[in-house]
Amino acid sequence: MRRTLFALLGTAALLLGLAGPSLAFEPVNVVHTEKVQAGPYNLTVGFSTWPVKAMQSLDFTFVPEDGIADKKGTLTMVWGGELMDDSPLARHPRKREVWGLDIYALPAPGEWTLRFDLDGPAGPATGELKNLKVMEQPGPPMGLSWAISTIPLFGLIAFIVVAWRRTRHADR
Amino acid sequence: MDITAVAPSTRTVPKGLVPASLVLGGTLLSLVGLTWDIQWHSDVGPDTFFTMPHLFLYAGSALSGLASLVVVLMTTADAKRDRTVDPIVGGRAVGVFGRTFAAPVGYLISGTGAALFLVYGLWDQWWHGLYGFDAVIDSPPHIGLLLSISITMVGAVMIFAVARDQRWGTCGTIAAAAVLLVFSMVTAIGLRAVPGALANPVSVGTASLSVMILFMASHALSRRGGALAVGVAVAVLQAVFWWFSPWAAEVYADATGLPLRDYTDGIPDLPNMIPMCLVIVAVAVELLHKVPAWIPGALGGAIIAACVPLQRVLVYGGTFPVNARYLTTIVLAAAFGAGAAVLGRRFGQMLRHLAPVKEDRHA
Repeated sequence: MRRTLFALLGTAALLLGLAGPSLAFEPVNVVHTEKVQAGPYNLTVGFSTWPVKAMQSLDFTFVPEDGIADKKGTLTMVWGGELMDDSPLARHPRKREVWGLDIYALPAPGEWTLRFDLDGPAGPATGELKNLKVMEQPGPPMGLSWAISTIPLFGLIAFIVVAWRRTRHADR
Repeated sequence: MDITAVAPSTRTVPKGLVPASLVLGGTLLSLVGLTWDIQWHSDVGPDTFFTMPHLFLYAGSALSGLASLVVVLMTTADAKRDRTVDPIVGGRAVGVFGRTFAAPVGYLISGTGAALFLVYGLWDQWWHGLYGFDAVIDSPPHIGLLLSISITMVGAVMIFAVARDQRWGTCGTIAAAAVLLVFSMVTAIGLRAVPGALANPVSVGTASLSVMILFMASHALSRRGGALAVGVAVAVLQAVFWWFSPWAAEVYADATGLPLRDYTDGIPDLPNMIPMCLVIVAVAVELLHKVPAWIPGALGGAIIAACVPLQRVLVYGGTFPVNARYLTTIVLAAAFGAGAAVLGRRFGQMLRHLAPVKEDRHA
């Protein structure tokens, strides 16, 4: 029993020890940029993959020409006239000197608009990145992906049905 | 002169307790890993295959799976040598791949869940290669992984329910059912894929699963207080994770030199998915034990669905939206709750059939 406990503790220590050095987070690589003019503010929108595909996650960066230090703002995402998201501009977790979205996916294909409401030393202003084309999702249709992923559920249901039939007469 | 021989201390571990505890411990590791991982993505963000919360998730399934495998192999060896196989260890043994293996049914289920976890890990890896390292909890492969872990947790309930007439079996059944219930609150998020214009499918799913597991545990133990014990155990897990999840995310972020996200609210994500009113529902189940199961089931489903926005207002603030969708959700939750209670009661009876126990075996 004691030996088993030591073996378990040793394994846990090994796991914990390995978790530290193996944590190497991917840098944010911008491969495409678009310019947005929001009043007096010149904003560069960066994408880590291009073209953008539905459901495929990527890093977005939003960089005002003279930095984010004295500014704040809101990002509003619109898809086909429908408001999809509305949140304050936050620093990118892996690139803290700029605003951004990390490993973020736009859920649907079509035309997207990113609206930026900025406020800084030159006052409030609004700018839009219009007609951002998002391609169809990669990979198999979602129906097939869901069918594959719910096999454990249907397996469990099949098991329950068998168990139900075998115990049906034993209850009464 | 009398010589009194002092018998050596012979404290033996009850048969079946060690592997059962290892399987339950594995499911707890998975649950800790899940609440930590969800909080990490919401409060900190960056992801790799080897983050500490991920290691907890992998270790949980590995521990449960290896314990199950060892029991199956030992049972197979006993069966080949025509030794008696005691069904107290995981229930009656069934043949797998013909008669190649003899597997106690509880360990067969828990081990199958762990094996499926490996398969869905590969499916998830392929998905991330195609779609990127999205932190979306309800992607199809993630739901596949959550369902696999849930199957291991169902196996854990079965393993302990077999020994329900012993103290460790009763306590283990309550703990395993509570772990399954808490975990299912995350799996239910997969119901977002169901159209939700008329009603909230996640609330209906959460309510139904909660009611079903309460009734299942209550009828598996077949004693007063079973549902309440599970409700209290869930509340304890909720309280512990309420403290643990944001704390662990922040400590791990500090340890890896990562900052917290801007605008992080610090609200525990997974614990907040658990209905805070579950203890009230459990009390209702206990008080209404003499009426048909569908009545307390419907009541429980309706209470849980009705309290979802209340809990949101309590935690996040804001307004309480009483609209047609909210009312439809309550009605649907009541209907599904009624069915879930009947199913849960039947599942409890099925658990009692895993290994008929002698009435004189009470510990």
